Amino acid sequence: MPTNTLTINGEQVAVLQGESLLDACAKMGISLLTACHDNRLEAYGGCRTCLVDLDGAPRPVPACKTLTSAGMVVSTSGEQLETVRATIDEMLECIPAAALETWTDANRFIGYDPQQCIMCDRCVRYCDEIMQCNALEHVGQGVDAFIQPTQGDSFLDTSCELCGGCIGTCPTDALYSKQSLKVFNEQSDAVLSSTRTVCNYCGVGCVIDIESQGNNVIDIDAQTGVGPNDGHLCSKGRFAWQFINHPQRLTKPLVRNTESGELEETSWQNALSIAATKMLDIKQRHGADSLAFLASSRCTNEDVYALQKLARAIIGTNNVHSCAAT
Amino acid sequence: MTNSIAEIEQSECMLVVGSNTTEAHPVLALRMKKAMRGGAKLLVVDPRKTWLAERADVHLQIKPGTDIPLMNAIANVIISEDLHNKQYVESLTEGFDEMKLAAAEWPVERAAATCEVDAGDIRKAARLYAAYKHAGIYYTLGITEHVCGVDNVRSLSNLALITGHLGYEATGVNPLRGQNNVQGCNDMGNNPVYLPGYQEVADGAAREKFSAAWGQQVSEIPGRRLDQMLDGLHDESIKAFFVMGEDPIVSEPNVEHVHVGFKKLELLISQDIFLNETAKIYADVVFPATCFAEKEGTFTNSERRVQRVRKAVDAPGEARTDLQIIFDLAKELGHDWGKAQPSKVWDEFARLSPNFSGINYARIEESGIQWPCPDVSHPGTKFLHEGAPIRGKGRLYPLDHIKPWEEADDDYPLTLSTGRTLYHYNAATQTLRNEGHREKQPKSFVEISAEDARELNIADKEEIVVQSRRGSIVSWAKVSEKVRKGVIWMPMHYAEASVNILTGDGKDLKVGTPEYKLCAVRLHKP
Repeated sequence: MPTNTLTINGEQVAVLQGESLLDACAKMGISLLTACHDNRLEAYGGCRTCLVDLDGAPRPVPACKTLTSAGMVVSTSGEQLETVRATIDEMLECIPAAALETWTDANRFIGYDPQQCIMCDRCVRYCDEIMQCNALEHVGQGVDAFIQPTQGDSFLDTSCELCGGCIGTCPTDALYSKQSLKVFNEQSDAVLSSTRTVCNYCGVGCVIDIESQGNNVIDIDAQTGVGPNDGHLCSKGRFAWQFINHPQRLTKPLVRNTESGELEETSWQNALSIAATKMLDIKQRHGADSLAFLASSRCTNEDVYALQKLARAIIGTNNVHSCAAT
Repeated sequence: MTNSIAEIEQSECMLVVGSNTTEAHPVLALRMKKAMRGGAKLLVVDPRKTWLAERADVHLQIKPGTDIPLMNAIANVIISEDLHNKQYVESLTEGFDEMKLAAAEWPVERAAATCEVDAGDIRKAARLYAAYKHAGIYYTLGITEHVCGVDNVRSLSNLALITGHLGYEATGVNPLRGQNNVQGCNDMGNNPVYLPGYQEVADGAAREKFSAAWGQQVSEIPGRRLDQMLDGLHDESIKAFFVMGEDPIVSEPNVEHVHVGFKKLELLISQDIFLNETAKIYADVVFPATCFAEKEGTFTNSERRVQRVRKAVDAPGEARTDLQIIFDLAKELGHDWGKAQPSKVWDEFARLSPNFSGINYARIEESGIQWPCPDVSHPGTKFLHEGAPIRGKGRLYPLDHIKPWEEADDDYPLTLSTGRTLYHYNAATQTLRNEGHREKQPKSFVEISAEDARELNIADKEEIVVQSRRGSIVSWAKVSEKVRKGVIWMPMHYAEASVNILTGDGKDLKVGTPEYKLCAVRLHKP
């Protein structure tokens, strides 16, 4: 691929054609502040946070939206730039003054706080470019601007697929997870932690971060540039985690009372002993191939490896299968 | 998948068959959407007008169960119009002449009549698929859950082979796995004829290797597939059933028949995170297990990528990790396997399975690795069949139409198809426990075409009875442009309207996969 060589802060750098000044700066280890930029979206140049000086240009240019060309001479600092940046910071902070009258949407997942919104339109563009749902729109101008479900309806009535990608791309807390807010306990001093793992729904294998407070899951999100999903999640992956801390979870082994026919709580030792005794008894009376094992394609590789090993190496049967065969 | 998920963005043409990708694999579908935005052609074969179908360059809205006639006709067009890759066919495939003859039995007009689609659309799809270099095939259970599931897959691989569309980026044959670890569950040997790493039970040397490693002779008797296990309940050759994280009386077809079998069992052991329907009625022992957020291990995704699963929270109460439970049970059965350590279990598997030997926990700490990965210096494999098919020559299959197990007739005039929606997942034990998803899609529904609804005098949202020869359930009509006349569609997620009360005993003739994708039904008012 053809490359361009340009000069940034007095040093030369080679970049691929089609890369932006923001990419070029990143290559040199210069991290410019951005707000409206998301690598997964088309460059927008809306917030002007990433302005740089370009020789020959009448005024500073947004690095995200300026494509590199050979021989460019760029500077990322300077007195004039600092002045402009300070003004932009002020502007970003003063935007949410209006638009307090906002949607109160019945959906359980996506909330909006206009006070935090800097009108970078990342959510609107995400929904348009990536999801291609067009469920969000930018309404009004200047200090009166805000975002809302398209045509002001509830998200539940629009083409919104409740993926929460708008929350994922939001650079502030303007868009937030209602579920998380509900579960998060401000009073608690339980440890907050983040655990990188893999989603348990479909076979795409999205890499997720489970946010937890003590032993409670309080959110699931994903990071751009990580895993096969590149920070994207679907509605199930991002929001369907209430089952983890659900009160109906099994917490004790159960065995069926042969007289009453009911399942009753018991000790691990008793449950394991009954299971093993009956398995060995059936093996002895009817042979190893009278036992069958069904593994779950929801469990880990290690879990199901161990199960087929138990069937083959201890019971002595190849009767192991799973629903994975469809 | 022969390809990687990220490669989809490089597609010039995508042939999506029997996959409602935006609902069943929403995040993978984002790559397709991106490719479409970049101008890629999209060909969709589906009885339903899915999100992708609505936006496709060609949507072949076939009559359910007619995939082979369609693919044969497409192959026919490609060959007769000289669009096939002659060099690839010549040097890297076998069976071309037989395949060509079988396909020739399905001229476009004949297939169009059988599949009930436009002949011009078949030609257009064939020409587009053959024309682009980066042309990938994507399919899911709409292809496999048929009496001819295996042959359906072969009809797709025929197309890839005659065009040489295999073995490079975004180009190959890609089944999209429906569950988080379907791929891994197969890789690990949870299969009656394969030991871990796809080493055959029938292969004496493989058996010897595992027997030596496990200190126990591996049986040479092939095991039973799931459908054969269920048959074994009825003839009482299966006496004990260990069910891990599954709910067969909800998820298996023809549920009433499954009940009859389970009643005859001597022992049912269930290991799950909730008390599922099967366990409630039939379990003798229930082990409380842990969900993915409560344990360490790995999942292998659709693109063969082994990725780390990590523990975020503790399991509730006395629940134990699935691995711990199996180790505990092994000990109780007289075999002490030592401490239940996921990384050690993985290492044992990898040591015994050459295609996985290069993968270990340290290497996948940051990001996953795609198998085949034979040694620790191997970077993993982004796409399969590079340069040539792995087996040397790609096998082309002569195929013919196989009729479904049950077709619509005068008594049961509608064809029912089943599937997954965006907001729920399989038996929905997890998603129906989420308020927001339950509210968004609270109950069962039946998609029905406006024409059928009018003929049957059924109104939108009206309560209706769906009846098949096996049983009946109550659901609610959803008059929809998604389905074609004569076909209705239902989600599989609702226990109170379990579609598997309706589904039949049809199964793939070669591997026994149930024919969930169609059965004959009728509708009437309650």
